[in-house]
Amino acid sequence: MIHAHPRPRWGAVARALVACLGAAVLFLLAGARPARADDLADIQAQKKLFWGADQEGGGPFTYPDPADPERIIGFEVEMAEAIARYLAAEPVFTQGPWDNLLAMAQADKVQIVLNGYEWTPERADQFEASIPYFVYALQLMTRKDDARITSWESFQAAPPDGGKWQVGVLGGSAAEDYMKELCATAPCEVAVYDGNTDAMRDVETERLDATLQDTPIVAFYGKEFPRLHNVDKPVAPGFYAIYAKKGETELIRKMNEALVVLIRSGELERIYRKYGIWDELNEQLDKFAEDARYFGYLQASITRVEAEAEAPTAATVAETTTKRSLGDLVSTYLPMLAQASLMTILLAVVSFPIAIAIGILVAVGRLYGPGWLRVPLTAYVEFLRGTPLMLQLYFIFFVLPEVGVNIPAVATAIFGLAINYSAYESEIYRSGLQAIPHGQMEAALSLGMSRAQAIRQVVLPQAFRIVIPPVVNDFIALFKDTSVCSVITIIELTKQFSILSKSTLAVLEMMGMTALLYLAMSYPLSIVSRRIERHLGTTGPIA
Amino acid sequence: MITVDNLHKAHGPNEILKGISLTVRSGEVAAIIGPSGGGKSTFLRCINGLEPFQQGRITVGADTLGPGVQSPALLQTVRRKVGFVFQQFNLFPHLSVLDNLLLAPTVALGQPRDAVEPRALALLDRVGLAHKKDARPKDLSGGQQQRVAIARTLVMEPEAVLFDEPTSALDPVMATEVMKVIGDLAAQHLTMVVVTHSMHFARTVANTVHVFAGGHDVEFGPPAEVMGSPKHEITRSFLAKAGEA
Repeated sequence: MIHAHPRPRWGAVARALVACLGAAVLFLLAGARPARADDLADIQAQKKLFWGADQEGGGPFTYPDPADPERIIGFEVEMAEAIARYLAAEPVFTQGPWDNLLAMAQADKVQIVLNGYEWTPERADQFEASIPYFVYALQLMTRKDDARITSWESFQAAPPDGGKWQVGVLGGSAAEDYMKELCATAPCEVAVYDGNTDAMRDVETERLDATLQDTPIVAFYGKEFPRLHNVDKPVAPGFYAIYAKKGETELIRKMNEALVVLIRSGELERIYRKYGIWDELNEQLDKFAEDARYFGYLQASITRVEAEAEAPTAATVAETTTKRSLGDLVSTYLPMLAQASLMTILLAVVSFPIAIAIGILVAVGRLYGPGWLRVPLTAYVEFLRGTPLMLQLYFIFFVLPEVGVNIPAVATAIFGLAINYSAYESEIYRSGLQAIPHGQMEAALSLGMSRAQAIRQVVLPQAFRIVIPPVVNDFIALFKDTSVCSVITIIELTKQFSILSKSTLAVLEMMGMTALLYLAMSYPLSIVSRRIERHLGTTGPIA
Repeated sequence: MITVDNLHKAHGPNEILKGISLTVRSGEVAAIIGPSGGGKSTFLRCINGLEPFQQGRITVGADTLGPGVQSPALLQTVRRKVGFVFQQFNLFPHLSVLDNLLLAPTVALGQPRDAVEPRALALLDRVGLAHKKDARPKDLSGGQQQRVAIARTLVMEPEAVLFDEPTSALDPVMATEVMKVIGDLAAQHLTMVVVTHSMHFARTVANTVHVFAGGHDVEFGPPAEVMGSPKHEITRSFLAKAGEA
């Protein structure tokens, strides 16, 4: 029932908006964030070491513990613990997409990146790099029953059935560089993946002919793909190094100190053996530790590794996934997925009212505001609609810190979604407002109401009814767009699905649970929107 | 009450009003008749500040509208003194009949709802629609809607009311209902300016009839004079076409 005097209703709306904005501000203030400037001093003062890695498809580096998926394990997790212990600090893990981790260090979101990042001269130039903590090589994998590829030499001739060899690699990895160089002359094509196991699966399903993987990944995941085997000896050995933001030389010196201690004490070897990734290549670590003592924090003694290693053996300790029953999977993983969907709900429910509020202001400003205001508002709408949400989030999260604006991930996600959707909302409201006959405004004005009163009391309430269906539609779209926020380290439902399905390889089961959760969220929304429409039907639409 | 002095109004190159001067005294009913496109509606909208004009002055009581854009405060003051009834009624479709009447007094004048409601109900009774107070505008006939619109204007207690062809959108039966209401208001000496196609109304209700044509007030005077023995050729041909004289 709509009353004659709608002011209290608008008051309630206004109060709700203020509450939402307040909540958003709280997020801005509450987020954890390592401070700028001197990270080593911060670590020692706060007794916290913020380290970044990607747990998605991250075995044996950093991945959810199959027995207790709330917990992350991996050889790098244990390294981070050991290094933090050396610094008398507590390790704080921050999830980030692998290819964004260095950007996160640059933007002060984390202090160090410890996640299988290869040492390269370019990276060592743009960031501070530690001494090597692991020596890897690249292992070629193909199907056991594929007789066409028997060694690297096989790539020099085109496949017997014509075309080019299809080889999958992890994007941004040394394997990608290696394959691209080879395929510049050889008849092969590189397919870039953002997870390791995806490429392996695609070789099994014969979408790819081969994949090139880092030795620890082969050691860890190889047994999950029984149709695959290793071909030829590992090639192009390289190192993993810890990276920090450029200029953090004191921090990296300390990292080197810690690594030397871990190598010489045998602690690192113990960790690597536990995860089944210790091989003879890594016996060189001693030499690096020795050199590092003289060079301080160094890069100087790093030269090409000579040794031709034997292919890594299967993991000794780290049992990843044995076949698990559906009931077991559901009881273990559904709670985690449900928890991630709370993040999805939070992002959507907090950002959307802000988007509506900004959208109304922009639409009213463009239609009824002074002339000078219309150009900037039009530019606002066109810019936000014309550029991808992902780019906007990336800008706020990774670029603004360069000028001293460091907003935590959740606040960035809410703010980014809100302003992005405000552009779409404002266009909906603009068309809604324009659909109200001009006579309505004139009637209100002729009764002695001000323009603002006429807009608020006469035009907006009518426009509001027109726009309900497209607004509900937009809300559902925003619900799904929250998954884009995983680029700025947010783990919401889709990202959690991605992480868990890669760590358990139980893709179908994870997919079913995820779809059910999305439905459980969107179905009530449909009911509410239908109820609103029915309500408007009884109280009368526009004559 | 309303004095218009040498009013000029153009839409781009089209000059619509070419120097209109006219006075409506308090308690008087002025009818404006004339061929379509003569500037009748535009003239009325200028008085209410719904249209800016280029030259001349409009004085309503102590307030004067001049050429160009006027301040919102001045426009509001003038509009509260002079009500406006539209050809298309323009009721607020999202509000009930009673709420249509209550909106402006509560919002624009800040009067408490309880204080306005008796007045509003009395007005609805006066236009014969007290029983429709909870209805929605879309559930009313055109004639009923126009009577609500008149009550909505009156609840602001204006000193004068402008009617822009109030019965043109209505069939004859409904038009008669509305004309009867306006006639009652005239009997109570409400100052009114009525743009109308109803020669009968002009003849029986108005104190003064103005004939607008080509942007000029070509002839005016008591209805008996203007409609009985028109002096101007334009008036004669218009009345002939309208089936009068």
